[in-house]
Amino acid sequence: MIKNAFMKIYVLVTILFLYTPIVVLMVMGFNESRYNSLPFHFSLRWYEDLSQNTTLQSAAENSFYLAIVTGIICVILATLFILGMKSLSRKTEGLCKSIMMMPMSIPWLIMGLSILLMIRFIDMDKNLFFVAAGHVVISLPYAMLVLQARLQSVDPALEEMSSSLGADAFTTFRKITLPALAPAMVAGGFLSFMISFDNFAISYFLMPSGISTLPIEIQSSIKFGFTPEINAISTIIIGISLICLAVVGLIMGGSLKSVLGGNK
Amino acid sequence: MKKSKKIMTLPGMAVLFIFAILPLFIMLAYSFQSDNGTGFTMENYMRFFTKTFYLTLTWRTIINSFLVTVISLVIAYPLAYIMAKHLKGLKNIVMVLLIIPFFTNQLVRVYSWLIFLQDGGVFDRIMNALGLINGTMGLLYTRTAVIIGLIHAFFPYMVITIYMALERLDNSLLEASSCLGASRLTTFTRVILPMSMPGVITGIMIVFVPCLGTFVEPRILGGVNGTVIGTVIEDQFFEIYGWNFGAAIAFLLLAMVLVSMAAINRLGRRYE
Repeated sequence: MIKNAFMKIYVLVTILFLYTPIVVLMVMGFNESRYNSLPFHFSLRWYEDLSQNTTLQSAAENSFYLAIVTGIICVILATLFILGMKSLSRKTEGLCKSIMMMPMSIPWLIMGLSILLMIRFIDMDKNLFFVAAGHVVISLPYAMLVLQARLQSVDPALEEMSSSLGADAFTTFRKITLPALAPAMVAGGFLSFMISFDNFAISYFLMPSGISTLPIEIQSSIKFGFTPEINAISTIIIGISLICLAVVGLIMGGSLKSVLGGNK
Repeated sequence: MKKSKKIMTLPGMAVLFIFAILPLFIMLAYSFQSDNGTGFTMENYMRFFTKTFYLTLTWRTIINSFLVTVISLVIAYPLAYIMAKHLKGLKNIVMVLLIIPFFTNQLVRVYSWLIFLQDGGVFDRIMNALGLINGTMGLLYTRTAVIIGLIHAFFPYMVITIYMALERLDNSLLEASSCLGASRLTTFTRVILPMSMPGVITGIMIVFVPCLGTFVEPRILGGVNGTVIGTVIEDQFFEIYGWNFGAAIAFLLLAMVLVSMAAINRLGRRYE
């Protein structure tokens, strides 16, 4: 009995460790004080300021569009890749897979900087194309893991049956493979969207000057004196991430865990 | 038919080659050049290995990652064990609670610790109210703050990987062990611990390795005390414009990452 209570307390304490600072941040976004200090006086002024702040709004828009583009490209590339991968020989398949997973184990700092050096090497200016490419490269492994987990649970006999019943390759793809993969494509898309939306390192190194994203704005306001407006925007970011997580979780169920067994 | 399918892997591979592998080689080439001219030189690497500052820094980066990994393991193992063997219905809720921070923006998380730990902040208030201290803990902008921030970022991964290993563990093995007269401690050290080792090793891998390359947490929570390899690389690129030297340090960091991955993998092979 005591042992049981002790265990529950242990779980509670670790969960508190995870959430206390985040909850404090959210609560302080509703506090009147400019310096995140107590006592607490409820106020919506930081959310009002936020609605006037065009810099943050355009940063939010940039984050959003960048994440959408990243999500769509990742889904297309990952779907093509895992479908094509089946027809490779075992050895090539393994090799290709480990190459695709590589960006998971290399620090984003290094990924971002090496692309920056490449831009300089080919004598071009930083532009949004390279930012998107960087985001795609780091999100692609996650989209692939989601899709692969799903593909493994599709019965290969279905495809065989379809072709032996006279369907051509495209019909089989359209009627069998695609519907089976569709949920994972949505989930992979949301996951890539989220990784891109939250990404700081790659955007920070590759963004052309004058354009920013939400994480970049948060970083610069930490550097140059923060206001609780940032608490407000952070709370909104957390909200968006939670919605994405809920969608991915609903679609993928338990296999989400195996995706997280990756890196970062 | 088969051939046309193979082509589908090409777009993905091409993107990876152009935007991940090729840039690394270009970075390697930069690291062998001096800032003011062309031609092959080892000076960037020499500079790193002959200055105590950089060697101390490397050591500090490794120690930081080591501490974060060990503390995460110590916190995570009991939690994973409780979840796998004692929580029943609650464990899914705990699992979701552990996964959510993964999807919380890294900067938001770091920023929340900044607010929480600041002088006179909520943490100081709590400690004062409990009568544990009088005044301020002065935790912000210390190495401790960096370690706390990194543990916060990484320990959920450790819990999840160990939990997955423990959940696969068959309960009848535990019964068999106690039927055969093993004490609880023996059952733990001879059955549970060895069988959860793959999870522990994966956990070490996904905490230790990314820790080596962090620069956001050390910079924001550690201030001047937070200098690690990652922050020095960032400085080289954005403050000092020593791109070639920066490329060399980035390459050394990459080497550290690869070497530690190989070492941890090797450690893991013993338990397969």
